Amino acid sequence: MESFAALLQGFAVALTPAKLMYASLGVLLGTAVGVLPGIGPAVTVALLLPVTFKLDPSGSLIMFAGIYYGAMYGGSTTSILINTPGESASMATALQGSLMAKSGRAGPALATAAIGSFVAGMIATLGIAFFAPVMVKFAVSFGPEDYFALMVLAFVTVSATFGDSPLKGLISLFAGLSLGLVGIDKLSGQSRLTFGLPELLDGVEVTTLAVGLFAIGEALFVVSQHRGKDEILRLTGSLWMSAQDWRRSWGPWLRGTAFGFPIGALPAGGAEIPTFLSYSTEKRLSKHQQEWDTVGAIEGVAGPEAANNASVAGTLVPLLSLGLPTSATAAILLAGFQQFGLNPGPLLFAENPQLVWGLIASLFIANVMLVVLNLPLVGLWVQLLKIPTPWLYAGILMFAAMGSIATKGSVAELLMLLVFGVLGFMMRRHGYPVAPMVVGLILGPMAESQLRRALQISLGDPLVLVQSPIAATLLAISAIALIAPFALKGLNRFRASED
Amino acid sequence: MIFTRRMVGFAAVLALSVGAHAAIAQDLKIMAPAAPGGGWDGTARSMQSALTAAGLAKNVQVSNVPGAGGAIGLAQFVNTAKGDGGQLMVNGFVMVGSLIMNKSPVNLSMVTPIARLTAEPLVIVVPEASPIKDAKGLIDAMKADLGKVTFAGGSAGGVDHILAGLLAGTIGLDGAKVNYVPFAGGGEALAALLSNRVTAGISGWGEFEGQVKAGKLRAIAITSKAKVAGNPTPTLIDQGVNLELINWRSVVAAPGISADQKKALSEIIDKLVKSKEWQDVLKQRGWDDAYLAEPQFGEFLKAEQVRVEGVLKSVGLVK
Amino acid sequence: MQSSSRDRSGVVVGLALFGLAGVLMWDASQLNRAVAYGFGPEVMPRVVSAGLVALGVFSVIAGLRSDESRPGRFHVADVATICLGFLALTACIGLGGGFIAAMTLLFVATCWAFGRRAPHVDAALGVALATATYLLFSKLLALSLPAGPLEKLFG
Repeated sequence: MESFAALLQGFAVALTPAKLMYASLGVLLGTAVGVLPGIGPAVTVALLLPVTFKLDPSGSLIMFAGIYYGAMYGGSTTSILINTPGESASMATALQGSLMAKSGRAGPALATAAIGSFVAGMIATLGIAFFAPVMVKFAVSFGPEDYFALMVLAFVTVSATFGDSPLKGLISLFAGLSLGLVGIDKLSGQSRLTFGLPELLDGVEVTTLAVGLFAIGEALFVVSQHRGKDEILRLTGSLWMSAQDWRRSWGPWLRGTAFGFPIGALPAGGAEIPTFLSYSTEKRLSKHQQEWDTVGAIEGVAGPEAANNASVAGTLVPLLSLGLPTSATAAILLAGFQQFGLNPGPLLFAENPQLVWGLIASLFIANVMLVVLNLPLVGLWVQLLKIPTPWLYAGILMFAAMGSIATKGSVAELLMLLVFGVLGFMMRRHGYPVAPMVVGLILGPMAESQLRRALQISLGDPLVLVQSPIAATLLAISAIALIAPFALKGLNRFRASED
Repeated sequence: MIFTRRMVGFAAVLALSVGAHAAIAQDLKIMAPAAPGGGWDGTARSMQSALTAAGLAKNVQVSNVPGAGGAIGLAQFVNTAKGDGGQLMVNGFVMVGSLIMNKSPVNLSMVTPIARLTAEPLVIVVPEASPIKDAKGLIDAMKADLGKVTFAGGSAGGVDHILAGLLAGTIGLDGAKVNYVPFAGGGEALAALLSNRVTAGISGWGEFEGQVKAGKLRAIAITSKAKVAGNPTPTLIDQGVNLELINWRSVVAAPGISADQKKALSEIIDKLVKSKEWQDVLKQRGWDDAYLAEPQFGEFLKAEQVRVEGVLKSVGLVK
Repeated sequence: MQSSSRDRSGVVVGLALFGLAGVLMWDASQLNRAVAYGFGPEVMPRVVSAGLVALGVFSVIAGLRSDESRPGRFHVADVATICLGFLALTACIGLGGGFIAAMTLLFVATCWAFGRRAPHVDAALGVALATATYLLFSKLLALSLPAGPLEKLFG
């Protein structure tokens, strides 16, 4: 157990009062900035990077780890409390999380998110420490055709977000796919659906759509039928997770981690796909189906939140063992490493074992700090919901606009936000689910690029899609996932008629 | 509101003209036409910290205007900073191409060039197991069957793509038939190389350095004029291909500023580049110093625009 | 009377989908299709618009057959107030009024829409919140938010 001894040594470096203070400072700063919608972990880390430069390398790394985890967690807080996913990866958390908050169970939702993030972070960090070299071989062997197959699988899962009408869900999905076409086509460099407006060249930002549909749409919907109604957000039951909540959470935490970590380790895996996969898996497995469209199911928060955090840890695998920054945040982390003359890459573990193991130990500590600092805060966060409705929604709208102003600051972006808000309002009024639209916007462009890349490399031979064992397996799973519900329904009908 | 902006501009002009002798600016604004975290943003923020640390400016503000490869930032800069000697904008090679491809109504001839700051040579790599050993091997493979030679690199029309197009053009092949596969980030392109899916990869040296040193990739050519210190990779020119291309970053000033204002800004940048603080930044970030002052920089900028437009036409990205 | 109280929105949505499909097809026809290998940028828009047309047909049928009742009335004025507040924010940012003023406009408008009738208190609260945020961004993060006359005070 050479790694184990090295890890212990890493802890020895990182476990001093000063370092612990840096870790908690990092977590607090990261959470504070991370709760702002539109300012995801990447921007948070980029903006706070200079703060860490003032410390020595190991102090800086640990603060960094704290900021990273804090920023990740901050996004889930707003998703649950005010139905405003700050970044695309916390959209799945918002779906059930905000339902739970509305039915007075914000406390357990926040707690399962925090503990789930912690569990996932711990397992995934262990994964980095002991399996990084194996994982990275698998990750690198993933080619465009395999990614395409993975996206097909993710598309199959979208029906979990459809609610009761498949037609309305599909319409929402296709509207999202259409939005995904806007902007410069990545493979040919030509602009599509931009109508000569330079603001549209970069396409529709996922956070703009998500914040518009979710936060602004929701605020408009609430005001549209507000008068004469009771306070909507009130607390019932315990602030804390009950024994049943624990029983229902641990499975999703582990499954979410199992989705998040390997997919996060893929160079183009990202954090969104594992959260979708986790969400739909939990929905299929849940024994409390009636809760999913009404009061919110805790599994739907626990799973995606764990998947999200595990995937973030997953991105460190290619970063540390190959020097591959596979997400915006990882790219900024890389810049942070280079600051200390550290060059992540195949030689990093051999050349700088002390710093690497120090970082891994820092991740553990930051993760502990996150849960230690945030669980007591759950009580405080929940108090936010007691703010009188007008002020609460005014604050939510301010928040929604703020993220867009801070990162883009353009009039065009703000107008888009408003248009999506009105759209979200209309969709709510007529019973169209908004989540599939965001899914379409995220997955559509990814699936298209990967498919075209695969065909470009194979010189147009479509067989490449089934020749790769990974792609073939994933496509087979997608086919089963698509057909199984119908087959089961048929079977049940058959059984029922037998009785 | 225009009134206030004028006032600020006026104040900055005053500050600059007063400080012209000492070349110290009171207030400077630097625009990064990209989101926080990217290369241009990094350049702008490094300038900010070095300028204040070296005592060359009292108060430096960085603003981000992301979008369309810098076209949106440039448009805003051209429209709102006109005649303001207190504003700078960071830009680079990538902007030249994206302005042409996006048919941008504004272009770099509308701003006042100040200086080129940094540059990074590109490198062409092949997987460890590839039979290709050098530039000649790659060229032979391209001449044998251009379609089968797949290049992995960054976005369509970006600097990597331009190099692939230039290479094909230089050896007399049709740029439009180059099988260039754009990847979203360096990570994906690298994975495609490591799993032997593509023939060759193009990117900045920094992106591939670790893999080359670990022996997973073979660097067959670097695109700078001469070899880079501490890097044994031969240049394309050394291998008989007359092609040089560097990915540079520079700083420009607002349109319509006076000769005095331009001189003052040029002096500040000159002092910045020569300061210890800036040299430290270069070392920390791993950027190569490629300082080129006026009037040479303006000429260089014009020449690059002509060259890029030519390549983009040859690879079929611009009609 | 009975037919008019039914929800016919499916028909409108279906027609909108046809329109969207048309826009996609038109845009795809403008693209330069010359791609040496694989398929070009015009294929995906065509696939999506085919899907939109199919969904549009189903939606129109569903709308005509619908026996669901129309969603009830809603407070148009309140929704409009928030939208106007948001437009005011956008205009304020666009014209250089600054972050704090823009945020306060939105805050006051939203409070009004939700039935509060104390704009002075709300404005004070909005200014306080926006100022705190502005300082957090500009001082701690060095991220410059749109500055107007108010923000200059903290410069």
